[in-house]
Amino acid sequence: MKMSSNEYDAVIIGAGIGGLVCGCYLAKAGMKVLIAEQHNKPGGYCTSFKRGNFTFDAAPHCFGSYREGGMLRKIFSDIGIDKKLNVIRANPSDIIITPNYKINIWNNMEETIEDFSQHFPDYRDKIKQLFYLLVDTNPSSFSNFRNITFRDLLNYYLKNEILKEIIALPLLAIIGLPSSKISAFVGAKLYSEFLFDGGYYPAGGMQVLPDTLAMTFIKFGGELRLSCLVNKIIVKDNKVKGIILEKNEIIQSKYVISNCDARQTFLKLLGRKLITDDFYNKLISMIPSMSNFILYLGLDKNFQTSLKTGSAHYFFNHYSSEFAYKFVKKGDFKKYGGFAFRVSHDKSSIYAGMPAPFKNKIFWGNNKYHVMNAFIDRIEKYIMPDLSKHIIYKDAATPYTMYRYTLNYRGAAYGWLSVPSQLIIPEFKKPPFIKNLYMVGHWTTYGIGISGAAYVGYDTAKLISKNNDRQNNKNLII
Amino acid sequence: MIDKKVLENEIKEIISDVSGYNLEEIKPNTNLINELEIDSIKAIEITVAIEKKYKISVRDEDVPKIVTLTDAVELVYGMLNQKGN
Repeated sequence: MKMSSNEYDAVIIGAGIGGLVCGCYLAKAGMKVLIAEQHNKPGGYCTSFKRGNFTFDAAPHCFGSYREGGMLRKIFSDIGIDKKLNVIRANPSDIIITPNYKINIWNNMEETIEDFSQHFPDYRDKIKQLFYLLVDTNPSSFSNFRNITFRDLLNYYLKNEILKEIIALPLLAIIGLPSSKISAFVGAKLYSEFLFDGGYYPAGGMQVLPDTLAMTFIKFGGELRLSCLVNKIIVKDNKVKGIILEKNEIIQSKYVISNCDARQTFLKLLGRKLITDDFYNKLISMIPSMSNFILYLGLDKNFQTSLKTGSAHYFFNHYSSEFAYKFVKKGDFKKYGGFAFRVSHDKSSIYAGMPAPFKNKIFWGNNKYHVMNAFIDRIEKYIMPDLSKHIIYKDAATPYTMYRYTLNYRGAAYGWLSVPSQLIIPEFKKPPFIKNLYMVGHWTTYGIGISGAAYVGYDTAKLISKNNDRQNNKNLII
Repeated sequence: MIDKKVLENEIKEIISDVSGYNLEEIKPNTNLINELEIDSIKAIEITVAIEKKYKISVRDEDVPKIVTLTDAVELVYGMLNQKGN
């Protein structure tokens, strides 16, 4: 049966990494797919922007899970883009700096264990056991982490408080939670997929990833519409029928996959009336993850540094993720006492970030420049003397900026807060009360970051393809 | 007391939902990890779905023992029996 031009097998709302990956698989399987993205470029948070001669990565500044057999490697090879991308990898991928320690996370696990053990020789065996547990690929050993915190896991292996904090600090810098709050499952996955297998970077900037995915999607026959805001998901008899775009343009579709914010999806695009009371209560009680304050610095040609370029650095002037969390939640960045930063591979720019509370538009309108300049002062004080002499361009993204470009609720950087009680809630990925509606991306509670979002996109495409084949077979038999 | 065959069908439904595999592809001795692509996230999803449906709490040390559908059925059957007593 031939479809009319406004009729699709699947429409995907949002061209984030999850939506693009899902779209590539579905289009490759022969389905007619439309991706509608409200921004003027694909990527969601994974974008880059140009200012003068500088190219800055907007939010993610590297990716993980790209080892042989890693999830992102599998996905890129399935859709045939692994050979097209020029991926470079920093070694060490990550560096933890505190007043008394500088510890590297190397591409090679044994070297990383050696680095930690040199500073904490009494714990050599325990460090090794813990790190190998974190990369254990047996699914059932990870299931045991579902109800506990990362702190519980650390307590089981280690007694030294400083060592426990050093292991917890990168997680605090990345997702803004102390070890006592973060789910052990998420903490373990961040270590195995983003730190121990991290530091990958596409030559040309992070925008290369979504651009390559978008081009591949189009090559498979998919249609991508940019600057295209979706207003409504059409539902009839508890089954999706399509979407409504601006100017009341109606798109018919058998499947609707939302790669946008969960609240937008359920409260705005579907509407309160279409969701069950139980789910509504669940949705409004869920806590989003922290947002970020990100600093973009363009540097002159005389800038020199002994710091490793391309590596992500996590600096803290203390050893208490609890203390830091208490203050960063309120927006007290000085007492937070830390930040993450990366000098670009070519030394032309610096990306630096801290977790930050959403507050509101007016707060950030009034405080952006003050927070930005105080941030530069702290980097100069602790890490790079004379930095400000070399800055020729500076700007920052506040949590409000994060919201404005992506419509993520409260500018959340990682979907829902990664606490054990908010881990893996199936209703978000496949709402049971509306047939043929799916969600992909970090709001599903199934994965965060680039590789997490990509995983959910891949997995959902697989479920949809299987479901579709089943329905088509049934129709053939009848 | 719940019938074992009924229990098997119910758990098979859960595994089918989570994995995307058809009911007829899930045999009592099918290896969930190797043959149905159950990864760590899906293993949790199945465990949580079972816990919710039967109002039980699967012990951490029991999770690795679930390799096949039969293992899951036996475990849940045992726990429901204990609960009944």
